[in-house]
Amino acid sequence: MARTTLRRTETRWGYFFLSPWIVGMVLFTAGPMVASLLLSFTEYDLINEPKAVGTANYAELLEDPKVGTAVWNTLFYTALHVPLQIALALALAMLLHRVGRGVSFFRTVLYLPVMTPPVAMAAMFLLLLNGSTGVINEALRFFGIDGPNWTTDPAWIKPGIVIMGLWTAGSTAIIYLAALSGVPEDLYEAARLDGAGAWQQFRHITLPMISGAIYFTVIVNTISSLQMFTEAFSMFFGSNIAESSEGDAALFYVIYLFQQAFRSLRMGYASALAWLLFLIIVVITVIQVRVSRRLVYYEGER
Amino acid sequence: MTTLALRRPRRAGRLVSIMALAVVAILFVYPFVWLLTASLKSRAYVFGNSLLPLPFAPENYVLVWDKAPMLLWMVNSAVISVAAAASVTMSSAFVAFGFAHFQFPGRNIWFGLVLGTMMLPGAVTMVPVYLEWNALGLANTQVPLWAQNLFGSAFFVFLLRQFFLTIPREIFEAARVDGAGYPRIFFSMALPLARAGLIVVFIFELKNAWTDLLKPLIYLRDPNLYTMPRGLKSIIDRFGLGGEQEWEVVLTASVIATVPMIIAFFLAQRYFMHGLVTQRTSR
Amino acid sequence: MIARPRILAMLIALVLALAGCGGVGNDPSGDAGGKASLTTMGFGLPDEHATARVDVYRKAHPDVDIRINEGNFDEQQFLSALASGSPPDLIYLDRNKLGSFAARAAVQPIDDCVKRRNVDMSQFRQGTVEQVTFDGKLYGLPEFAQVRLLIMSNTVLREAGLAPDQLSTSDWSALADAAKRLAKVTGGRVERIGFDPKVPEFLPLWAKANGVDLVGDDGKTVRLNDPKTVEAVRFTTDLVAEQGGWSQFKAFKDGFDMLGARNQYVTGQLAAMPIESWYINTLAANSPDVDVTVLPFTDRSGTPVTTAGGQAWAIPKGAPHPEQACDFMVTMTATDTWVTAAKARRDALAKQNKPYSGTYTANRAADEKIFAEVYDGQSNKIIDAGVRVALSLQDKVFAWPANPAGAELLKVWESAVNRVLLGQQSPEQAMQQAQQEADTAIQRAGR
Repeated sequence: MARTTLRRTETRWGYFFLSPWIVGMVLFTAGPMVASLLLSFTEYDLINEPKAVGTANYAELLEDPKVGTAVWNTLFYTALHVPLQIALALALAMLLHRVGRGVSFFRTVLYLPVMTPPVAMAAMFLLLLNGSTGVINEALRFFGIDGPNWTTDPAWIKPGIVIMGLWTAGSTAIIYLAALSGVPEDLYEAARLDGAGAWQQFRHITLPMISGAIYFTVIVNTISSLQMFTEAFSMFFGSNIAESSEGDAALFYVIYLFQQAFRSLRMGYASALAWLLFLIIVVITVIQVRVSRRLVYYEGER
Repeated sequence: MTTLALRRPRRAGRLVSIMALAVVAILFVYPFVWLLTASLKSRAYVFGNSLLPLPFAPENYVLVWDKAPMLLWMVNSAVISVAAAASVTMSSAFVAFGFAHFQFPGRNIWFGLVLGTMMLPGAVTMVPVYLEWNALGLANTQVPLWAQNLFGSAFFVFLLRQFFLTIPREIFEAARVDGAGYPRIFFSMALPLARAGLIVVFIFELKNAWTDLLKPLIYLRDPNLYTMPRGLKSIIDRFGLGGEQEWEVVLTASVIATVPMIIAFFLAQRYFMHGLVTQRTSR
Repeated sequence: MIARPRILAMLIALVLALAGCGGVGNDPSGDAGGKASLTTMGFGLPDEHATARVDVYRKAHPDVDIRINEGNFDEQQFLSALASGSPPDLIYLDRNKLGSFAARAAVQPIDDCVKRRNVDMSQFRQGTVEQVTFDGKLYGLPEFAQVRLLIMSNTVLREAGLAPDQLSTSDWSALADAAKRLAKVTGGRVERIGFDPKVPEFLPLWAKANGVDLVGDDGKTVRLNDPKTVEAVRFTTDLVAEQGGWSQFKAFKDGFDMLGARNQYVTGQLAAMPIESWYINTLAANSPDVDVTVLPFTDRSGTPVTTAGGQAWAIPKGAPHPEQACDFMVTMTATDTWVTAAKARRDALAKQNKPYSGTYTANRAADEKIFAEVYDGQSNKIIDAGVRVALSLQDKVFAWPANPAGAELLKVWESAVNRVLLGQQSPEQAMQQAQQEADTAIQRAGR
């Protein structure tokens, strides 16, 4: 009897504390998702009442060449950005791990770019990446390489943005550093006694032991890369710049979604676009989760 | 013998690591130094790559305030960021305490939903959430930039739950026996005990709100309501490419937009690193 | 330990309260203290031409509070303001775009407003009035009128063995040769642009020079796939291709200090290009001694030809204060106001020891008065030559009437030319596609 009252109070208080989140989820997640699905079958421009148009938005989406461009740009960027970012972060983390004393200095320096507002970063890199006056090409020239036009040549715009992204690899590196410090030193000692070389130690100890952290960062970085917006929008889109002068090479999916929704006021079409993005993200994430099951080493499963 | 043999290459390894990191550090710091010096040059020299701010033009930092209402944007950003950070910290802690402390049917389902929404791309709900705020007549105000935070954020709920789980339940039970109500236990015991976690959340959200561009682009029309990034974007549009080509204004404004975050970082660096580590190890 | 969170909670509450005020306290259309407040969109206050005229209005109407949201006109920002029921009182935009908004009834006709204030529309240059007239109704009052002319660097031309008066846009093959000779491209890197045709922006001018109006007199026919238009596209994009290719060319141009003392003429980064007449003034003010020649832009038979660029004021549909808005735009474009502004501009420049090169407006009466009374023949040779050319061009202006799809058209042909510049399409393909897009846009706008 007393037990059930206690349980009932627990339940009541539990939901009391959960209530903000439940309300918020209904108002800002679940409700909007339903609304978005319904909207995607309408034409709505904020001025006139929504008009049901059946699957017209989805049909348009399949034929819209800009959707194809945007999907391609986004996937291309993600495929380039995520592995490079993670490789660099891992390399930095391993260096940091070996430094020992003095690590906090380097850690701070590597993390500073993460604090820079992406808009400021974009303004800065627009000049640093400029093909004829930017410092990056000047450095390449020093090595006798004629650098490409990172900001005006459609073929090099995305690689340019990837380079800019590497500057913020510090945030991922810090996570790996924490993971590395959790790897027991005696594993290495044992391996060394067995005659394992540096590569073998890395391949058979380091990688498996921090695979959880890598898995986490791959998923998070992929989801955020697929939603690339701020840097590219700041650099290549604006009220003043001829928006197509780079031939849509920087038209990422969320930028197009944003334009359709808030520039052209096509809320219905934008909702259909949002669902396509959702689908893409879900598919990619599921694939990553599946693959990780084979590759990720969990301590608990020993 | 063996220890000695093992140690020597490692010491050499450390030196190589430091040297490699020093190179990387220079590369990482370079853009900052360049930005700072370029912002101190007069207009035509911004495109040069010299790291000497010549011809020296410190007046850029005086003039920029007249070019755009930067001070106002700064205040807007500060108010919005603090409101966003404070509300998300409080509400997420509140919800996290609910998940950590109570046992009740359905809890795991709800927690599963928390984890699920954590992965939900924000771009998916962008349109309908805008329509909600628009229907409330709040579309051209700063409210949508932070008010959603009053309902907690999945990621921070998750993170703070880990913090609360490390606190022995018995402490709270003892207070309960002494007659304290749960709200009081939460406010006067749980919150202080999770202080480190709260600071992590606060600072993370402060940074997120300060640097965000998408929401201000969607919601703010009146330039007097702009946040710093939104304002900076309008400066790029107006004084940058295709505009009036006053790049020194763009760069000076970029420095001004960045400095507060760098300061915040140095003040709270300890917690920042901690937060990043928790983000990972708590999984 | 227990006292602290209470302080924290109070602090948070305080911050929330403050944030709430910050958010709600700025009502954009609020009329503070019974004073009507007039908001504008797209206008800026960069110099005395703007500030002095606003002051004239302020003095005449102390009861009206003017809120100028500085920044360039953003079409979508305007439309979404309109959609959410909070349009500004006035918009200031490129005249070529006005037709789109008139067709959508996003702006209101101002015939009544103008009639009641006895504005003599014949004072305005005819071409500019056509640009703001749609379906026989007047939708805006034109402001500046900028003609386009050629500015070339004597130093660079002489260095290449060319006399400045030899370079003209009349003989296209000679121009192409000259551009190649003047340009400096070493190892794939552009070091100097010989001749910048300024495409895609200046395509209408090039088409006109080749004998075709991009938009017909009815404002509804477009001739983007006309063989002569295609020829103009091919010629101008080839010019760019011959001088390093678009990516190089553009990246190099992005590095110009156009509006500064180390501009492309001073540094020798450019030999020649067509540009709007305001640039004479900028050039003279920033680099008074640079050795340049100013010539008219000519068509292929050698006759000077120019478009008249510039903005117009218009009143959005549903503007909260249409009467005050009308007063404002009439005042801003009146002859006396312009003369006052011209004087203020001249005096301000004189104070900085900079020359004044006149004010070019759509109001002919104002221009006549300004050049008779305010402009006083300068010792600066850039301005001396430039003003003469600019004035001679004022009546050689061609303009097409307001087009129902003006804004879309601009996008259509600009991106078509961009596709050619980037080598993605041939001129024929690009302009054929543009023609189709333009027809659809006009059809959609006309329904």
